Amino acid sequence: MNSITEIRDAIKSGETTAMQIADRCFSAISNEPFNAFHECWKDEEPNSATGLLSGITVAIKDNIVTKTGTTTCGSKMLEGYRSPFNATVIDRLLESGATLVGKTNCDEFAMGSSTEHCAWGAVQNPWNRECVPGGSSGGSAAAVAAGLCNVALGSDTGGSIRQPAALCGIVGYKPTYGLVSRYGLVAFASSLDQIGVFSRSVRDAAITTEVIAGFDPKDATSVEKNAPNLEETLDGSIEDVKIGVPLDFLNDRNDPEVNQAVKNAINVYEKLGATIVDVSLPLTDVGISTYYVIAPAEASSNLARYDGIRYGHRTSKTGLDLFDLYAHSRAEGFGDEVKRRIMLGTYVLSSGYYDAYYNNALKIRRLISEEYAAAFEQCDVILGPTTPTPAFKIGAKSDPVSMYLCDVYTANTNIAGICGISIPCGFTNESDKPLPIGMHLQGPAFSDAKLLQIAHAFEQATDFHTQHPESHV
Amino acid sequence: MNVNEQNEAMTTDVVRHVAKLSRLALTDTEIEKTIEDLSSIFSHIDKLKEVDTAGVEPLDHPTELLNRDRDDEIGATLSQQQVLENAPAVRDVYIDVPKVLGEGS
Repeated sequence: MNSITEIRDAIKSGETTAMQIADRCFSAISNEPFNAFHECWKDEEPNSATGLLSGITVAIKDNIVTKTGTTTCGSKMLEGYRSPFNATVIDRLLESGATLVGKTNCDEFAMGSSTEHCAWGAVQNPWNRECVPGGSSGGSAAAVAAGLCNVALGSDTGGSIRQPAALCGIVGYKPTYGLVSRYGLVAFASSLDQIGVFSRSVRDAAITTEVIAGFDPKDATSVEKNAPNLEETLDGSIEDVKIGVPLDFLNDRNDPEVNQAVKNAINVYEKLGATIVDVSLPLTDVGISTYYVIAPAEASSNLARYDGIRYGHRTSKTGLDLFDLYAHSRAEGFGDEVKRRIMLGTYVLSSGYYDAYYNNALKIRRLISEEYAAAFEQCDVILGPTTPTPAFKIGAKSDPVSMYLCDVYTANTNIAGICGISIPCGFTNESDKPLPIGMHLQGPAFSDAKLLQIAHAFEQATDFHTQHPESHV
Repeated sequence: MNVNEQNEAMTTDVVRHVAKLSRLALTDTEIEKTIEDLSSIFSHIDKLKEVDTAGVEPLDHPTELLNRDRDDEIGATLSQQQVLENAPAVRDVYIDVPKVLGEGS
């Protein structure tokens, strides 16, 4: 699978056509064994528009609404749901000439870190099919890692792009909150959700994000800024860059191979001329708890719309009053993890607990935001591991808390609304089936161009991003 | 009420009440499992009580944007047919629902 620039050149020189690229892609998706896709759109009319992404094959996470096909959010609640409109990001991709290839499986309503909680079955990691791809955007991550398409869209509420990117050995970029329109992204936690890109290189993430970013009047939280120029500054020198490393991120909670890979990455940056500075983010430990108050609280409110009346699953039980119609439709339509989070969110918002949990979490949210601001006085980006461990076995994390802790390093990015990216920085030592390791860079709000530049510099100096799982298709 | 008392308060009655507020018809087995799960989750979340938040203003949204008004002009809208297309039960041009007013509602 080639880069966007290579494909652009190949189409320009007449070496290939968008149709040929699409055909190869659809054939790969039809034969994929990972359960990455819920729908493949091989029978759709080709996109006649031309632009920055002409001929580029893009997969879409199944929680972003599309007029084509269905949008199910990996849930029986929305089985067969056909959106009457496109998300803004979908319209922008189509206007830029992209070929949309289908919908990818995700954890139900984007709640999960393994893509095991999907009504259409667990997704497998292309590096080792016994392992999870991470989540919640696991289908998008697996699709790009396996070379089934050029890029994919995901959504990131607490790490749902960056964590699966790390576990699948690709680039996963969560832009600053407000940079990419959320119009048409099925809401999970509205103050945390952000659409972003999976790709095999930082440049491809930059090009695709330029297409989907920028002010959208249909999203009240979209910032009134033009899409940033992310690609033109990629190649800049990083000699004057300061990289903050919180030393307590390299602790014994992490897999030792993860710590080693991140230490190696720090050395790479030193050789590139960047200055490494110590920073301290002591609230990281309470970040995940803050997240698991705020995100479920917002989810319990957002998911109240699924009532079995206007759309979505309605129970077939008869003779019910309105309350029971709601309660049975929702109990049948939602899976266990979604129910758990609705209950958790309802509890922390309920009378008597609101101040103790929800309001207190919002205060800590401000403290986390201020802690980042203080750290960014000393550095341009913060570097650490994306996840404590590489991909784990399917079924290995059965209790909710151990699953939640997968996002310990990523959730605070969303809490503060800043930008973050995971890029490949190493592999485990298994000689048979090595697993990728990801490194996490976080930058201040709207420093996205600098964040990508710093990520790109590492990528150019290393070859982790050029390694791909053996082909299964 | 301190942290431990709150955790002990994760009883069948509390979980049934939260399920009712959540409009979720849970079975007895699901209620039991929820008590177990929420207790374990709250034992983690209760770390938040240790953070000193005296005098801190809550932050409910990262951008702290102000409301943005738009002009009151009619724009593109969905047709009635488009709106009804995903409804689970439709009669004529209406969404069919159980009786909500009067006797037996």
